Amino acid sequence: MQGPDGMESSDAALVDRVLHGEVNAYGALVSRYRDKYARYAVHMLGNREDAEEALQDAFTRAYRSLARCEDPERFGAWLFRILVNRCRTSGARRVRRGQTFVHDETALLNASQEHPAEQTMWREEIERALGELSADQREAFLLKYVEELGYDEMAEITGVGVSALKMRVMRACDRLRVLLREVHSA
Amino acid sequence: MPDWTRTTLELIVQELQQPVRVDESFDRRVMVRVRRMQAERRPRGAAGWVGAAVNLSRRPAYAAALAAGVVAVVTVGMLRSRPQTVAGSEPIPVQFVLVAPEARSVTVVGDFNNWGLGDTALVAENHNGVWSVSAPVPAGVHRYAFLVNGKQWVADPTAPRAAGDDFGQPSSALVVEGTPE
Repeated sequence: MQGPDGMESSDAALVDRVLHGEVNAYGALVSRYRDKYARYAVHMLGNREDAEEALQDAFTRAYRSLARCEDPERFGAWLFRILVNRCRTSGARRVRRGQTFVHDETALLNASQEHPAEQTMWREEIERALGELSADQREAFLLKYVEELGYDEMAEITGVGVSALKMRVMRACDRLRVLLREVHSA
Repeated sequence: MPDWTRTTLELIVQELQQPVRVDESFDRRVMVRVRRMQAERRPRGAAGWVGAAVNLSRRPAYAAALAAGVVAVVTVGMLRSRPQTVAGSEPIPVQFVLVAPEARSVTVVGDFNNWGLGDTALVAENHNGVWSVSAPVPAGVHRYAFLVNGKQWVADPTAPRAAGDDFGQPSSALVVEGTPE
């Protein structure tokens, strides 16, 4: 969505418009962050259905509490924090239901349109290996390496200390290396 | 087949950083929910004061004295209240007070006014640095906070702090007792 000057509206400008009753401006924020954050949710939850549900829930919760976004210029970071929490809740609920981590067939299908078959197999192996990690390790790994956050940001988002996060990332890396080397040595 | 001359970690990250596309129908689904939330908001009627409110005081002595008075009201109201929503009860008028002499604006936002989304924020009036506004609040347990100068989120230091949530901002708990039958 563009502002009156034809430039792309900033997050803060869009938030301000929403808070002044222009609901459609929120659609621009949804479009802006939809794909970016879907990646995290899909990798964290392992399937597109749960990921879209968590993402949709995060967007609606953010809308409901938009006035509580202290720094509208960083709406994206605030939304991401909500999403991380929703993924945690969704993951815990799935564990209680006795479901296991499953790889995202839809994402794989998307990937296969761009990559050759071997690359798709490699991606599938990665998704399976991710599913072998504990939720804490998977969360820390994705935030650090895939979302490329610093440890301070990760601590702010997760509420977990930096030392503990570093340990989780290290263990996740070690585990992934082992799991994926096992696949290729088999 | 991956290029094993590179580190396994780099290969994993490269693959996981590939974009994940979401169908545009997702936007429509979110916006349907958002518009429904907006439509469900109802204006609340006006009513006289009953009591119970908040106060922020870090400055002068008169503010502390005022705070003490307000706290007394809050204490009476909250100790007698019940920690659950009272079905069918009429909203109870509640006065919110914040001592903030240097503030340029103060609004009250809470779950009872949808956190001030759109035009639902309660705009307090300034009386020599004592900001106040009253509003009818449904009986039950609520979260609320003050929004100072449109951006500073201030929990009420004299009220119980609400349990942590997803939004990363402190808020206070308000318990409103139902109307006696």
